[in-house]
Amino acid sequence: MSEAFKKVVSKIDPSIGIVSGLVLLLVIAGFFVSDRFGTTQNLLNILENSVSLGLASMGQTLVILTGGIDLSIGGIISLTSCLTSGVINGNSSLMFPVIAGVLLLGIAIGALNGVLIVRLGVHPLIVTLGMSMVLQGVTLMYTLEPPGAMPLSWDLVAYGKLLGVPVAPLVMVLIFIAMWAFLKKARLGRYIFAVGGNAEAARLSGIRQNRVVVFVYTACGFFATLTGLYLVSRMGIGDPRIGGYYMLSSITPVVVGGTILAGGKGGVIGTLIGVYLIIVLRNLLNFMDITSFYQWIIEGVIIIVAVSFYVERKKV
Amino acid sequence: MAETVLQVKSVTKHFPGVVALNQVDFNNYAGEIHALVGENGAGKSTLIKVIAGAYQPDGGEIIFGGQKTVWDSPHQSREAGISVIYQEFNLFPDLTVAENIFMGNEPLKAFRLIDYPKMIKESDELLSKFGICIEPLKKVKDLSVAEQQMVEIAKGMCNQTKLFILDEPTAGISDQEAETLFERLAVLKAEGVSVIYISHRLGEIFQIADRVTVLKDGNLVDTFDTKAIDKNTLVSKMVGRDLEDIYPPKGGEAGGEALSIKSLSVGHLVKDVSFSLRQGEILGLAGLVGSRRTELAHGLFGSLPITAGSYKLGGREVSATNPQASIRSGLGFLTEDRKNEGLVLGQSIEANITMPILAQFANNSLVDFKREKNFCQQEMDKYAIVAKSGEVLVNNLSGGNQQKVLFSRWVQACGGVLILDEPTRGVDVGAKVEIYKIIRDLAESGLAILLISSELQEVVGMCDRVVVMKEGRLAGELENDQISEESIMHLATLSRENFVCD
Repeated sequence: MSEAFKKVVSKIDPSIGIVSGLVLLLVIAGFFVSDRFGTTQNLLNILENSVSLGLASMGQTLVILTGGIDLSIGGIISLTSCLTSGVINGNSSLMFPVIAGVLLLGIAIGALNGVLIVRLGVHPLIVTLGMSMVLQGVTLMYTLEPPGAMPLSWDLVAYGKLLGVPVAPLVMVLIFIAMWAFLKKARLGRYIFAVGGNAEAARLSGIRQNRVVVFVYTACGFFATLTGLYLVSRMGIGDPRIGGYYMLSSITPVVVGGTILAGGKGGVIGTLIGVYLIIVLRNLLNFMDITSFYQWIIEGVIIIVAVSFYVERKKV
Repeated sequence: MAETVLQVKSVTKHFPGVVALNQVDFNNYAGEIHALVGENGAGKSTLIKVIAGAYQPDGGEIIFGGQKTVWDSPHQSREAGISVIYQEFNLFPDLTVAENIFMGNEPLKAFRLIDYPKMIKESDELLSKFGICIEPLKKVKDLSVAEQQMVEIAKGMCNQTKLFILDEPTAGISDQEAETLFERLAVLKAEGVSVIYISHRLGEIFQIADRVTVLKDGNLVDTFDTKAIDKNTLVSKMVGRDLEDIYPPKGGEAGGEALSIKSLSVGHLVKDVSFSLRQGEILGLAGLVGSRRTELAHGLFGSLPITAGSYKLGGREVSATNPQASIRSGLGFLTEDRKNEGLVLGQSIEANITMPILAQFANNSLVDFKREKNFCQQEMDKYAIVAKSGEVLVNNLSGGNQQKVLFSRWVQACGGVLILDEPTRGVDVGAKVEIYKIIRDLAESGLAILLISSELQEVVGMCDRVVVMKEGRLAGELENDQISEESIMHLATLSRENFVCD
């Protein structure tokens, strides 16, 4: 191994090593479990399945890096997906104004989360839990069933391909890379880590901590809305209950990817690999004909075991 | 000779990169007050934590009450009869005095219900035995610091304590209250209880202790009979060098007015404080714990709201309501609690140095890493920060090096006035000397420095002028030859009421 390579390796967080290793292990296991695992079709399948979880977890990562948490992601996804297909209702001419409006709405909800947390001083868990309930209620008042319809052209978002390559999974990866660069290179990115690492020290260093907090919840609202729009495309219609899954599942890849709940440590690359870990695992269990109940159990065990590896043991 | 209650035999304790205790021997007799002294970082806290079972020693043994003991937790040592009274009390503020005294040890009646009348009666007896007038039904949060200390002691007595360990018990109380404490300790002593007494105030050690043990850099220097040693010898044993070698020479010309404070109030905390500070001057801000020196600094820095009065920086009125505005107008503030208010421990030296001034290294809000790295390398050389590179995380640094990172940050970020709150807390003597030199050099380069410190020796050794605060107000000002530990304490503790029964 060359020195330069060693240096690069030494800089990679061990948690990313562990979670990458787990993904690799699952992929190898996949080839033994089924002939169909290694097919291009299945690979594309895995990539497509990772998009919605990836987008939702992206926002969650930013929030958790500041030491917060956003439980309203699911509510935002449900509401925005229903509003989109419900209001458009098959009318292509409404598509772009409605989508723009829905994006603004998601951003506004995220910003409201942030402002409430900062102004009221209430813990993010409480604020976003409350917000999630409010949003779920509003969504169910609006519709109890999948509402309206999307124009066929919106299918392109989920199923569009460029030279045979599905665009959405690619875009998701590009978003992760862009956010990685943002966190690393931008001042605001650095401030996110500073606030998560030690909010009081950040404040006393003249960092506008409140703005940083409002920013991450706003960004989280934006990414949750993207998730909603993607899901509408994938299914052709919104669903008032679809978000529920993402409320907690968006946290899994973040923590499995090495971002610590207390904030200040971690990053989006770990989350991306964490997303693939979850999706490949599910794919594999499907091939093994294991029911979803077992999938939940195995996922739960993996979270606890994986994260237990990252815990810095208190040295006494 | 009295019975030996505690015997510590060549105990060693390592932490990553440091030997906190190196084969230390220590013993305590029944009915003895044994003082434990040493500079910050000498190993006093580590030693008491080992004795109390909060740390497990890597080598050596502890014999308590004639038996070799290996404690896995402080709980076990408490059961065995060791009470540690830390500066941060281990009391429940919303429970009553009686409930606190009997916590975990409540007298019970039928159905395992608490026998309150009995508990209150016994609390009363226990307290009056020590001549302390505290109502057992009062809530602990309504008591003064000194009263809370008495509750801690009563709690220890209630638990059949054989060995009390008091960690700087007089740091937060007035002289009169301290006298009361000494009388109570004499009562304990007469009852055959053994006491380990940690203090920075050497005067009181000679007043109350039978023996004194000096630790330095984790090593045992020696144990002396207090009758057989004088104060100056003790200090040189603690420090390992003469006082003249510690503090850089004072002097230097003070320039124009850098900071002037007029009738400043910060809520109910700080009331009507006025003083001024000149360029090139080191002004000490002294006072007891709770005299609101830190709150005054937070008021100036915009991190607590100023409710009345005003201040000028370099002749210009400042109306800062948040830290970033204060930094812009030229103020830097090195906070007292570097781990919670200063550093982001999980991040690199570089990120920590440039935190308030990241804008200087950013083009269009993107950070220019190369420039940042070069700058930080220079700073690390300038302040002799010992680390492999600027990418090292600050939680891997020693206290002294962490403090130097903060100096680098704030000297760079401030524009003329630097507030230093306990800048040498928790650093070893070597680093202290370096920091004192840094502070003096900064003053000589024209910076105006407000030095908040609870270590009187440091205030006396470093400051050109001293203002003393007491309970949020200015108690007085001392210059040149007037500055001494006694004169500062006198101002800091003037007229406080006492709580002893007549």
